[in-house]
Amino acid sequence: MRHLPSSLKIPFPERAGAALKDASLQEALTNATTKFIGLRKDAFASLPQGDLLRDRARAIKEATIQRLDYYLEMLADNVERLGGRVHWAATGEEARDIILQLCGDRGVKTVVKSKSMATEEIELNEALEHAGVTPVETDLGEYIIQLAREKPSHIIVPAIHKTKGQVADLFSHALKGRFAADPEVLTAVARKELRQKFLQADMGITGANFAVAETGTIVLVTNEGNGRMVTSLPRIHVALMGIEKVIPSMTDLVVFLAILARSATGQKLSVYTTLVRGPRQHGELEGPEEFHLVLMGSGRSNQISGELREALYCLRCGACLNVCPVYRQIGGHAYGYTYPGPIGILLTAMLNGDHAVKDLAHASSLCGACHEVCPVRIDIPRMLIELRQRLDRERIAPLAERGVFRVFGRVLASPTLFRLSATLGRMAQRPFVREGRLGSLPLVFGKWTKTRDLPPVASRTFSERWKELR
Amino acid sequence: MATRADFLSRIRKEVRRTPGLFPASTAIPPDRPSEAAAAIRRQMSERWPEALERFKQEFEQVSGVFHRVTHIEEVPGVIQALAREKDARELITWEPGELGLDLRPHLEPQGLSVTVAPSDAQDGARLSYREAAARAQIGVTGADFVLAETGTLILISGSGRPRSTSLLPETHITIFGKERLLETLEQVGVVLEDLHVDPTGTMSGAVINFITGPSRTADIELTLTRGVHGPKEVHAIFVESL
Amino acid sequence: MAAPVRASLFVTCLVDLFYPEVGVAIVRLLRRLGVTVDFPASQTCCGLPLFNSGYHGEAARVARRTLPLFAASEYVVVPSGSCAWMVKKEYPGLFDDDPALRKEAEALASRTYELSQFLVKILGLSRVTTNFRGKVTYHDSCHLLRGLGEAQSPRTLLKNLEGVELLELPGADECCGFGGSFSVRLPDVSTSILGKKIANIEKTGAECLVACDAGCLMQMGGGLSRKGSAVRALHLAQVLAGTDGV
Repeated sequence: MRHLPSSLKIPFPERAGAALKDASLQEALTNATTKFIGLRKDAFASLPQGDLLRDRARAIKEATIQRLDYYLEMLADNVERLGGRVHWAATGEEARDIILQLCGDRGVKTVVKSKSMATEEIELNEALEHAGVTPVETDLGEYIIQLAREKPSHIIVPAIHKTKGQVADLFSHALKGRFAADPEVLTAVARKELRQKFLQADMGITGANFAVAETGTIVLVTNEGNGRMVTSLPRIHVALMGIEKVIPSMTDLVVFLAILARSATGQKLSVYTTLVRGPRQHGELEGPEEFHLVLMGSGRSNQISGELREALYCLRCGACLNVCPVYRQIGGHAYGYTYPGPIGILLTAMLNGDHAVKDLAHASSLCGACHEVCPVRIDIPRMLIELRQRLDRERIAPLAERGVFRVFGRVLASPTLFRLSATLGRMAQRPFVREGRLGSLPLVFGKWTKTRDLPPVASRTFSERWKELR
Repeated sequence: MATRADFLSRIRKEVRRTPGLFPASTAIPPDRPSEAAAAIRRQMSERWPEALERFKQEFEQVSGVFHRVTHIEEVPGVIQALAREKDARELITWEPGELGLDLRPHLEPQGLSVTVAPSDAQDGARLSYREAAARAQIGVTGADFVLAETGTLILISGSGRPRSTSLLPETHITIFGKERLLETLEQVGVVLEDLHVDPTGTMSGAVINFITGPSRTADIELTLTRGVHGPKEVHAIFVESL
Repeated sequence: MAAPVRASLFVTCLVDLFYPEVGVAIVRLLRRLGVTVDFPASQTCCGLPLFNSGYHGEAARVARRTLPLFAASEYVVVPSGSCAWMVKKEYPGLFDDDPALRKEAEALASRTYELSQFLVKILGLSRVTTNFRGKVTYHDSCHLLRGLGEAQSPRTLLKNLEGVELLELPGADECCGFGGSFSVRLPDVSTSILGKKIANIEKTGAECLVACDAGCLMQMGGGLSRKGSAVRALHLAQVLAGTDGV
């Protein structure tokens, strides 16, 4: 089966180019993103207080970050009061080590996982496998890509790039059967197969959509039921969470619940919103004996006082991906990192440094559609421009490019140079003008004319014509 | 591994570096959650018919199946009919004290096997309930709250009300009365504040589950399928007399 | 609305160099509407291409010399949503470290309008007379739509033209793929986005594609022309001005 190159050795424009040529990916992307756009629009059309809620949600995130240490401490105290253990991971590596240590200490052989972008970030599955522990993804989309040994291509529907035929092949191969390319059939196969894993696993690992500081509750927003299975059936539950997910109270929580599912899938609420408070309580028949919350600061702590601070509000709803003209053309794998799409570029800069976004910072036409749909109104275009500024300041942008823009800046700041460039342009273009258009130009201009015509520099600019108009 | 003190002091340092550039305010929780929750209960004792109507609409919108009976005695009949329809042989239920009803005397004579949740939490009981839950085709629970705005059932776990009852079987049936109805998510927020007033945890169990319809996914080509891991069908039986 | 209004034209670099006929159309249109038009000499560019690529020092330099050019203007009219956005939303921030210049920038921002905004909101017009005829469809430029919140003014003007039928463009609010330097940094992606836009344009059956931004027109016009399409890409000013008096 076709495997798109997400290897970072291949430059981003080439990765993007490969995605553009993949016809089945193109079809899947168009269908999925168009559908999600419609679902989200309808969901907010039926929520008159939607805009107000988004403002409130954003204000809550900002207020929380302004006292992040206070709320994290409150959260930890409450989790521990209820019999849970809190672990503090300054880096992704530490988070991995903590989880591996737990597995080792507790004799864990199999882990069932509910969908967690945080665990993708730290490449937990590979680390577990290396340590002889078997991780089983249980979210259907994640299960599919785990079998395919691929990364997710969308935050909400990780296997959106796969056709049902491809899924049927995957299942048939992995489970030694022959299954029809029918979503109902394939879902039933996954249900049966994964049910056994839930019942036998030693440990369940989840992320957390939110953690309520005042009550020590972690909140999982899911649709399949695997989140509930993973947090109820195995004897140990580990939740890995970026520190920015904490919120103060239950009253805050319902503000987010009102808009999260609507933004992600157009549902009023996801099928399961699960509020987990520690291990099973005394007298409870079911539930884990142990609950561990791993708090991850990696990349996030730096941004609290940084330019990408707003990106910490992100709820991981995926709405920005669905409307992004770039994401809609190239899909998630081409971005090359854990998080794709508009917010993905910012998160990649946060987690992997500015060098990682040398090309990605320009993978945007700055159209602003992402800002428009973000439930917490993150101004992604503004921060992309900040990133671009940093790439210049830090000399990560290529020298040639920086040189060109310095010259460009001089020309635009000087009416004489500006007029001169028009004259030079007119001279230089003469050999290329056909039927009043420029069809084929050399150098960087060729990148335009390969697929589009260009109007020539006018024989008389507007400034030159003004005398007759005045 | 970072220590808690180091970790938090690092964050404190970053937080101090900037006052924050944007409007910031947390949501304001009720001053006295118990009173606010009591006020909601009083309000709902008047408004329950509207809430019920709204719940029915929203619940059906998410493919829930709504039933209404006058007396609790009619409930076993509804369940029996469903069991027959689904060719179900085994059921699991909350402990009768929690459910408000003991289904065993009604259904066992019909040849159905009913396993009720034990009230003790010994390992043996745990294992045998899990096995029953894995085999059962139907799970019967109550509901702590029923949210009209979104068609959602809210269940708190605990002794006699194990989580798997509403999770493992293919069909989940909930029995509820008018006292459970809430209209808005905002009210749910107040109720949640009230439930957590005592920080040492006076709730019966560690999990609160919001259930909005049957388990579903659209992960394969965005085609909607139900019953991925959780139940394929969710039924709600409203009992007028409760 | 009959009081004589004075407007200074900030013609923008793309119109000045590549689409002077758009500038001419605006002058004719505004004069026909009784507006006195002047054109401050030695204007070049608003600096947006520099700003968007992260070269803020360079952008600030361009902005700094632009401020005095329009200091005496009653209104500044711009035939481009993105340039109007630059002046209105970003100019003040470029002078955060210079309170006097910042104040000037804020003053300029408050007097600056994109063309359709100027016609509808300042001149209070909803209908204009023109000899332009035909079926048109309208594309919402990103900065005009989302940056300045303007979706209605161009549509109001187009809808009320006699002999002109405005056909709604599917995905009108979707980016055309221009994005300034984006169009040549990621030309394949830009072209792919453009392909979807052109398919939508052709689906409407319109004879003419109208937009309020020269960058978008360059992108969409360039794609339509390369395809050999009969659909013309015109600036709103050209439609409203028509060919009267040419």
